[in-house]
Amino acid sequence: MTWYLFIGDMLVTAFMIVLFVWLSLRSTRAQFDAVARIPLEDEERRG
Amino acid sequence: MTVRHYEDRVVTAFLYCAVFWALLGMVAGVWVAAELVWPTIDFGIPALSFGRLRTAHTTLVLFGFGVSALIATAIYSVQRTSHVRLFAPGLAWALFWAWQLAIVLGAASILAGWTSAKEYAELEWPFDIAIAVAWVAFAVIFFGTIARRKVEPIYISNWFYGALIIVVAMLHIVNSLALPATLGKSYSLFAGAQDAVVQWWYGHNAVGFLLTGGFLGMLYYFLPKQAEQPIWSYRLSIVAFWAFVYTYIWAGPHHLHYHAVPEWVQSLGMVMSLILLAPSWATMVNGIMTVAGAAKKLRTDPALKFIVLALAFYGLATFEGPMLAIKSVNVFSHFTEWTIGHVHSGALGWNALITFGTFYFLVPRLAGVPLYSTRLANVHFWLALAGTMLYVLAMWGAGVSQGVLWLSLDDLGEVRFSFNDVMAAMQPYYLLRLLAGLAFLAGTVLMAVNLAKTFAGRPTAVAMPPAGRRA
Repeated sequence: MTWYLFIGDMLVTAFMIVLFVWLSLRSTRAQFDAVARIPLEDEERRG
Repeated sequence: MTVRHYEDRVVTAFLYCAVFWALLGMVAGVWVAAELVWPTIDFGIPALSFGRLRTAHTTLVLFGFGVSALIATAIYSVQRTSHVRLFAPGLAWALFWAWQLAIVLGAASILAGWTSAKEYAELEWPFDIAIAVAWVAFAVIFFGTIARRKVEPIYISNWFYGALIIVVAMLHIVNSLALPATLGKSYSLFAGAQDAVVQWWYGHNAVGFLLTGGFLGMLYYFLPKQAEQPIWSYRLSIVAFWAFVYTYIWAGPHHLHYHAVPEWVQSLGMVMSLILLAPSWATMVNGIMTVAGAAKKLRTDPALKFIVLALAFYGLATFEGPMLAIKSVNVFSHFTEWTIGHVHSGALGWNALITFGTFYFLVPRLAGVPLYSTRLANVHFWLALAGTMLYVLAMWGAGVSQGVLWLSLDDLGEVRFSFNDVMAAMQPYYLLRLLAGLAFLAGTVLMAVNLAKTFAGRPTAVAMPPAGRRA
């Protein structure tokens, strides 16, 4: 049981590391900056 | 007259109730603090006994104040960051009434002696079912709004609110699995060590995803709004989110050090708690750097002051937590008031202060008028800071004293001090804690008055005549 848990834990950890790397590389700085401004430009919109 | 497109009336209703529950919950907290100084002030009334009133205190502040504030701010911010009106506003009103009714009846049931005996999940099975249904309604409203968004990226605050909704649902349902015996009594499906592991998987992640994740959602939306600055590093906020989500879920077993659970489970809980310091401080640094661009505003704006102070306490509490999770520290700190001090440095210093700051930001905007009194808000700020600091220092003193006294052995290797000896030594600290609670409560009363006066001064809606009669 312990080994199953350990292997499961390591798989989850590997997935998270891949996710970290992917998230860090997928967008440009300009795209991140644009998203960061969302709360500053939301009052004048009338959806 | 202001024409409002977003659905903000339900936000205002949740906000009113959050302030009410904060006051009631803090009065209960001050009362139980006084009972530790003068144990006879329960007057022999079962509903005022420490066990019931303390549970009512935690239920009112966590689920009454905290969750009402989280739902209010989630509904407010998700509409704006998605550029759409709230999905299913009628359901949001149903959620409002259901949640408030659950808190009223739930607190009454606790005072009447109903309890599942699970910490922070004491409400019995009828309430557990009602909470699960209400939470699903919250999920439908929130994710329904996200699904209809007109802005493609999902802003980071919504990721945190989303994690709050999903993980708390999972924790609540699993931890509440029980066999009902009567209307007011049920028995957990889990037993012994299993029950303990499930309980602290729930308990610690309720702290993690409700008191930390949910309020980080509040931070990531209202800090940039109030500072009028974008978040310093958006990339860091995303990495911190995923690191936070991944790491927090493992940390629960640090509540069970030296208990009847496997040694490796305890060690894993400790290691994950230490790793958790990285995403926690990444968020704190991100917040502080965001405020650095608005240093001038910090001098005069009480809302921003509250939010920044909350960040500082967030940093302190998320450093102290991993330290207390180290097994060799925990052997000293466990079963002492140090834990209570740690919880309150988070609950008062982080959760309450960021909520107060957010309310000082929100109420003038919802009412359409400036805050009634900046001076009162500043007095509140200093009372809240003094109350939190005094509380934490008193409990540190009490906790370290208890740790030393519990572990003190005589020449025969037996404990040197009895439980009564240790409790007698706590009296000065308990009195200081009571004063701290009173100061914090006094500040909250000032805020309630200030916000009520602000709402009272809002412009009256202009009744438009029918189209045919217009000039």
